[in-house]
Amino acid sequence: MKKLTQPVQNLFRRLWFYLTILGPGLITASADNDAPGIATYSMAGSTYGYKFLWLILFVTFGELIVQEMAARMGAVTGKGTADLIRERFGVRITTFAMLCLLLANLGTTIAQFAGIAAAAELFGVTRYIAVPILAFLVGLMVLRGSYRYVEKVLLVLCLSALSYVITAFLLRPPWGEILRQAVTPSFQSDTGYILAVLATIGTTITPWGIIYIQASVADKGVSMDEYLYTRLDVVSGAAWGNVVSAFIVICTAATLFVAGMPVETAEQAAMALEPLAGAGARYLFSIGLLGASVLAASVLPLSTTYAICEAFGWERGLDRSSHEAPIFYGLYIAMLILSVVVVLVPGMPLFALMWLSQSLNAILLPVLLVLTLRLVNNRRVMGNYVNKKWQNVLGWALTVAISGVTVVLLASPWLS
Amino acid sequence: MLYVSQLQGKQIWDAWGASVGRCVDVLIGDPGQAFPPVRALVCRNGQQQFIAAEQISALYPSIVLNVPGSGIVPYVPRGDELWLIDRVLDRQIVDTEGRRVVRVNDLQIAKVRDRFCLTGVDVGGAGLLRRLGLERPVGAFMRLFKRSLREGVVPWEDVAPVHQEDPLRLRVSRDRISQLPPADIAAIFNDLDRQTGQALIASLDNETLADTLEEVPSDLQVSVLAHLEPERAADILEELPPDEAADLLADLPVDTSDQLLELMEQEDARDVRTLLAYPEDSAGGIMNTEFAVVPVGLCAGEALDYLRSSEQAQEDEAMYYVYVVDDQQRLSGVVTLRDLVMAAPQTPLDELINKDVITVQPDTPQEEVAYLVAKYDLLAVPVVDENGVLLGIVTVDDAIDAVLPTAWKKRIPRFF
Repeated sequence: MKKLTQPVQNLFRRLWFYLTILGPGLITASADNDAPGIATYSMAGSTYGYKFLWLILFVTFGELIVQEMAARMGAVTGKGTADLIRERFGVRITTFAMLCLLLANLGTTIAQFAGIAAAAELFGVTRYIAVPILAFLVGLMVLRGSYRYVEKVLLVLCLSALSYVITAFLLRPPWGEILRQAVTPSFQSDTGYILAVLATIGTTITPWGIIYIQASVADKGVSMDEYLYTRLDVVSGAAWGNVVSAFIVICTAATLFVAGMPVETAEQAAMALEPLAGAGARYLFSIGLLGASVLAASVLPLSTTYAICEAFGWERGLDRSSHEAPIFYGLYIAMLILSVVVVLVPGMPLFALMWLSQSLNAILLPVLLVLTLRLVNNRRVMGNYVNKKWQNVLGWALTVAISGVTVVLLASPWLS
Repeated sequence: MLYVSQLQGKQIWDAWGASVGRCVDVLIGDPGQAFPPVRALVCRNGQQQFIAAEQISALYPSIVLNVPGSGIVPYVPRGDELWLIDRVLDRQIVDTEGRRVVRVNDLQIAKVRDRFCLTGVDVGGAGLLRRLGLERPVGAFMRLFKRSLREGVVPWEDVAPVHQEDPLRLRVSRDRISQLPPADIAAIFNDLDRQTGQALIASLDNETLADTLEEVPSDLQVSVLAHLEPERAADILEELPPDEAADLLADLPVDTSDQLLELMEQEDARDVRTLLAYPEDSAGGIMNTEFAVVPVGLCAGEALDYLRSSEQAQEDEAMYYVYVVDDQQRLSGVVTLRDLVMAAPQTPLDELINKDVITVQPDTPQEEVAYLVAKYDLLAVPVVDENGVLLGIVTVDDAIDAVLPTAWKKRIPRFF
């Protein structure tokens, strides 16, 4: 009897251990389906049908490779990405990298507030009231440190993205056709298509995701003995997030693309959920959008300012007073205010803003990818845990591919 | 003023004006001194070459040697040098005067008694701009508005470099850092990345480490302790007040805490075990078992003599009050240390003590203890069992922790 219970006990201990260590990967992956994410996939699915499924498969592998490298750097060095960049590359490159990060994350933060505005308007509340109030609440919540308590509620709201999975099965789409498209790469060279490709890449593999996963693994103090579980977390998180993304594409393709209706507003995007929720679709959609937007709007500007202050050695952290850390708080509040102002510009197309910010993300991403690849191959930083050859081949191929799409984008006016 | 960034990558010329190579690093000796001397320059010209400081005639505006290229006697590193560009520039460093972690933007070199010496660390914006090549334009721009760039140079004797990979240097840092108040060491520890912080804290002596640990949030306490040798961890636990030690042990896995309790001295372990039996947020969980007691029937002078020779009183951290107990250890009264000291030696204790003592039971909730402490302006509350036997005291700082969380407790995850 004793012989039998010992392995069982060990199994449970391992399972418990896995559960405690699980997390960062899952959160980043859920963040894939934030407001700009939902907008990007809805736009792609409704405009190009199932054609984008192969791209989602492709970026899933890309995300796995990139997130794994970042997590490994966090575990080995115990340091943040910005910290390592500064120590290894000096002030000039750091400044350039941080400018790119700031630009990418500012774009995404604006997109989150566009998501808040769109969600509010689906509920019939004007953005001129909803956005300033929610921005104020988000700032207050984060600066007063009560974010932790609200996070759980927001994560539950994000679960409404699951309704896409249910809707997809209700729709009975042509699964055979879907599978075929998912493994058949296709490409067009018109500007709109390339922007959509970039947005899909940029909303899945994000500069923010790299920095977040490394920071949280470093902060948890994951040692290399336990790293296997972190890797599992990263892999399962990325896979899960992209399954949901794929279902958003499937739903919008099976409803809106079939009806010949490329999504240009949040209202149209919500129609993809009508087979499940009927007239309530707009509310279901806007609740999910709101939860995801507020969650990301809380986390994104703060982690951005933190990384920048870390790189330049400025006082930072919420346990400092605004007098001690003026740049930290100043930059954070400036990001919030700027985002609100942009969203409130009269006539600003919210939906386009949401997904185009992600194209910008993808254009800036290679900067951080190159630095990450250089760091993860540095034996003085990583010791014996530098990249294996295949990891390098895939990592560099991804970087080149993304930069290549950007080049094609710049050339596209002359191509078509 | 001369800065290391101005030497980095600069041509080195010999006495005849011929190029020898480029300067890639600066080595200094004796980093424990206030003005550590420059020992050598690292010169790269195909291969790496060390040039002893004695052979340098000028560093600025050009690096010129006082010997011809063929006459350079190579410097043989002794192994105790500090590589400024490789190991200090761009790294984090502890400013022991400002008691914070800062980043090294530049390093200042000056001639002290005919020798080039490291004098200070530039942690300010001027250093950043210099590295970006923008110091002059921005400086000129500021002068238009009759302002000047703020210099942020901290003298070398007020900084402590902290690199876990550099045990030698850590000794200097430890000596400088362990002078600081424990709360400041804890703040510095908190600002450093996990591995460096752990290396720093492990280098402190047991008493300083224990004092620092008291100021550190509980999840970090656990991870620090887990990284120490079990024997050392047990020593640290003995140094901690029993209530803190019990809290810490309660957060550890049972196997580990049992092992540590075994390694601790019998008496300390017994105290801690008693406390572990009570819930963490009850009077029993936060009480201190080290307090000052005297038996009934003494007069003031005898009581003071008794205290001086009492081991239990020696261990009392604050000793605001002296408790009087009967032969059954039942609490019969309390007197403030002030009254005891100020009273004439012959005054019987009976006349001095307050017999109507506010007490709590071990299972009294922490909030209620805090309420009593605030209501009656107490510095400590005795904890008694149902028979009136004195078990311990809750001091005001432990009691108010419940209602007024310390700065650490409201700290949200570091990277958010």
